[in-house]
Amino acid sequence: MSNISIEHGDRLYWLGRYAERFFTTMKSLERLHDKVIDRDSEHYKKYLECFGLPDTYGDSKNFFESFILDKNNTCSVAYSLERAYDNGIVLREEISTEALAYLQLAMDKLYGLKGNSLKGLAVTLLPLQDIMFSFWGCIMDNVHSEEIRNIIFCGKYVERLELYIRLKYRYQLILREFERLCTVLNRIPENTPYRFNEKQLSVMEEIIRDSERYSDSRNEVLSALAKLFEPSKRKDLVT
Amino acid sequence: MFILKHLFCFALKILLLRKGVIYVINTVLNADEINQLLRRYGVKFGIYKNGQFKEQFFPFDPIPRVIGADDFRVIEKGLVQRADALNKFLFDIYHEKNIIRDGVVPEDFVYISSGYLPQCEGLTPPENIYSHISGIDLVEGKDGEWYILEDNLRIPSGASYPLIARELTRMASPDVFKTNGVADNRNYANLLKDTMDFVNRGGINAILTPGRYNSAYFEHSYLAELTGASLVQNDELFVEDNMLWQKTYSGGKTRVGTLYRRISDEYLDPLTFNLESLIGIPNLMEAYRSGNVAIMNALGNGVADDKGIYYFVPKMIKYYLGEDAILKNAPTYLPFYEDDRDYVLKNIDRLVIKDVAEAGGYGVIFGSDLSDEKIENLRQTIKREPRRFIAQEVIDFKDLPILENGEQVMRKADLRAFVLSGETTRVWASGLTRFSRNPDSFVVNSSQGGGFKDTWVLSR
Repeated sequence: MSNISIEHGDRLYWLGRYAERFFTTMKSLERLHDKVIDRDSEHYKKYLECFGLPDTYGDSKNFFESFILDKNNTCSVAYSLERAYDNGIVLREEISTEALAYLQLAMDKLYGLKGNSLKGLAVTLLPLQDIMFSFWGCIMDNVHSEEIRNIIFCGKYVERLELYIRLKYRYQLILREFERLCTVLNRIPENTPYRFNEKQLSVMEEIIRDSERYSDSRNEVLSALAKLFEPSKRKDLVT
Repeated sequence: MFILKHLFCFALKILLLRKGVIYVINTVLNADEINQLLRRYGVKFGIYKNGQFKEQFFPFDPIPRVIGADDFRVIEKGLVQRADALNKFLFDIYHEKNIIRDGVVPEDFVYISSGYLPQCEGLTPPENIYSHISGIDLVEGKDGEWYILEDNLRIPSGASYPLIARELTRMASPDVFKTNGVADNRNYANLLKDTMDFVNRGGINAILTPGRYNSAYFEHSYLAELTGASLVQNDELFVEDNMLWQKTYSGGKTRVGTLYRRISDEYLDPLTFNLESLIGIPNLMEAYRSGNVAIMNALGNGVADDKGIYYFVPKMIKYYLGEDAILKNAPTYLPFYEDDRDYVLKNIDRLVIKDVAEAGGYGVIFGSDLSDEKIENLRQTIKREPRRFIAQEVIDFKDLPILENGEQVMRKADLRAFVLSGETTRVWASGLTRFSRNPDSFVVNSSQGGGFKDTWVLSR
C-alpha cells in the first residue's frame, strides 16, 4: 500500500472532483450555448434551476461570462479550475510536474480569454478541453501507483455522476457513468477512507438500475452519493 | 535598438575571457518560449505583500552565466574545502570546542550567535554530517577572482530553479547544447537522494514543508517529485518509541529515516524550542538524539553560517585542514575588535554594513546611500552593539548581461553554489545565478525583485 497521507488522500479525491467539474461544466455550458443561439435565449434559466440558483444575471451574455470567467461564482469554470489547481499544487510528487503543468496551462488559457471571445463558445473552449484530455492522459501515464490513480478517478466519476444527474442528462448516460464509478469503487481497498459505504451504494444501485424509478428519485440518488464516503469514518482512521 | 517583440529567436555571442582563454559560446536561445515553459511548469515563488500571500513567476533571464572548466575546478576545490571545514567546525563546537580553546574563534562569537543551540551540545548527527546541503554565495570580481559572500548551512534554497530551467532550455533550444559542451546539471536530484540515503536511519526519505504558502513551496514539491521522497507537513508526522513516523491515510504508519526539513530550527520541535510553534513535531529532538532519524540539515548549524563567524572561516580551514583557503572571503571587518571598529567608523561611508541577524538581503546597508544624519546614527548603533554588525569592502563585482525588453543590459549578479556532503563532498556543477533587476542595486534576492539565470559549467 502507498504511503498516502490523510491530507493527500483528500486532496487526490478533490483534485479528481474539481478537474471533472471544470471539464463537465465547460461541456454543459457549450451545449447550453448552442441552445440559446437560436432556440431559447432564456434557456440558461433552466440551467440555473438544476442547481437551485436564482437568476441574478438578467441575460445569457452575463450568465455565460459569469459561469465561465468569474472566480467568485462557485459554479463557474474558473472557480473549479482554481480549486483543481489548489489541490494539484500540493500533489506534485504524486501526480507529476507534467500533469500539474496542464492545470497551469489551462489557467493561463482561461484567463487569457476576453468577454467577446465567448461568442464562439464551443471553439473558444475547445483548447481547454484538449488540455484536460492531456491532463487525464498524463495522470494515467505518470501516476504509477494504482491506489493513487483510483482515488483521483473515484473523485472524477463521483463528480461526473452528480453533475449528470443534476443536469438531467439522459438515463443511458447516467447508467453508463454509474457503472464506470462502480468499477473504480471496487478497486479501492477495504479499510481505507475512500472505500464506499455499501448501504449507500446499494440504494443508488437499486434506483439507477430501474429507469422508471430513477426518473422520480434523482434526489435520493444524490443524497446517497453525498454519503458514499463518510467523513466520520475517515476521521476514525487517523492514528 | 533591437526590439524583441514578435521574434522568438535571437542569437547571441558571448565572449568569455578567463585567464587568457577565450571561449566562444554560440547561443541561440528561444527566450519567449523558455519563459512560457517556465510559466507552464509553475516555476513560482511566494511572497507576502501587505499581509497577503502572492505567488509570482520567478523572472528568468535566458543568457546563462558561463563558468569555464578550469575556473570551475578551482571553485569546486575551494567549496569542498570550505564545506568540509564548516562541518568539522560544527562538530567541534557541539563537542570538544578545541577551536575556542586554541583561541582561533573567540567564544563570544559562538555563544552569542542566535544560531548556536545549547540543546545540540554533545549530539552527533548520523554519519557525523551537519551541513548536508551547503548553499554558498559567491561573486566574481572584475579582476576575475571569486569571493565568498556568505555561507548558508541551514535550509539553503534555490537549486530547483536552474534545474528546471535547464530542462526547459534544453527542450526549447536543443541546438545550444549540441556544441557548447555544457556539463549536465540534471543530476542534482540524484546527488540529493544519495545524500538522504547515506544518512538514512531506516525508513523513507521525507521532505518537511511548512506548506503551500511558503515562499519556496515550488522547490519543496519539485525536489520531492524528483527524489521520490514523501512531501509532508508536520501534522502528518509523529514520534513514537523515539522514532519518527508518517501517518498514512489507511490508518497505518511508515517510518521516516531521513527528514529533509525546510523549516527553521526554532519551529521544529515545540517541546524543545519555540513552544508556540504550530508547524513542528513534538519530541522530534528525542528521536533525533536517539539516532533514529537523520535531519537534513542538522539542527544548530546557524552558529556556523552566522555573518560574524564568516570572518573566521579561512582560519577554520587552516585549523582543521591545515590548508590555506582556496576561495577568498570578501574583505571583512568585525566592529567587535577595536581596530576594526575604528576602521569601520572612519570609513563607514564607503563600506557595506550587514546586520548579522538578518537574511534574504535585508539588513544590508550601503554607507554610500546614507545621509550624514543616518551615517551618524549608524555609527552610534555600531558603537552600542558592535557584535550585531559586520562591515565589508564593496566588491566591484562583475556585471552580467541580461535581456530587458529585448535589449541587453548589464546587472549585478551573484552565484549560489550547492555543495552536498554525504559519503563524499560534491559540488553541483551548476548553481543559482541571481541578478538585480534594478540597475543601481547590488541586492539580488528574489524576495526583493531579483531574477535568476542558469549557470553553465563548461565540461571542457
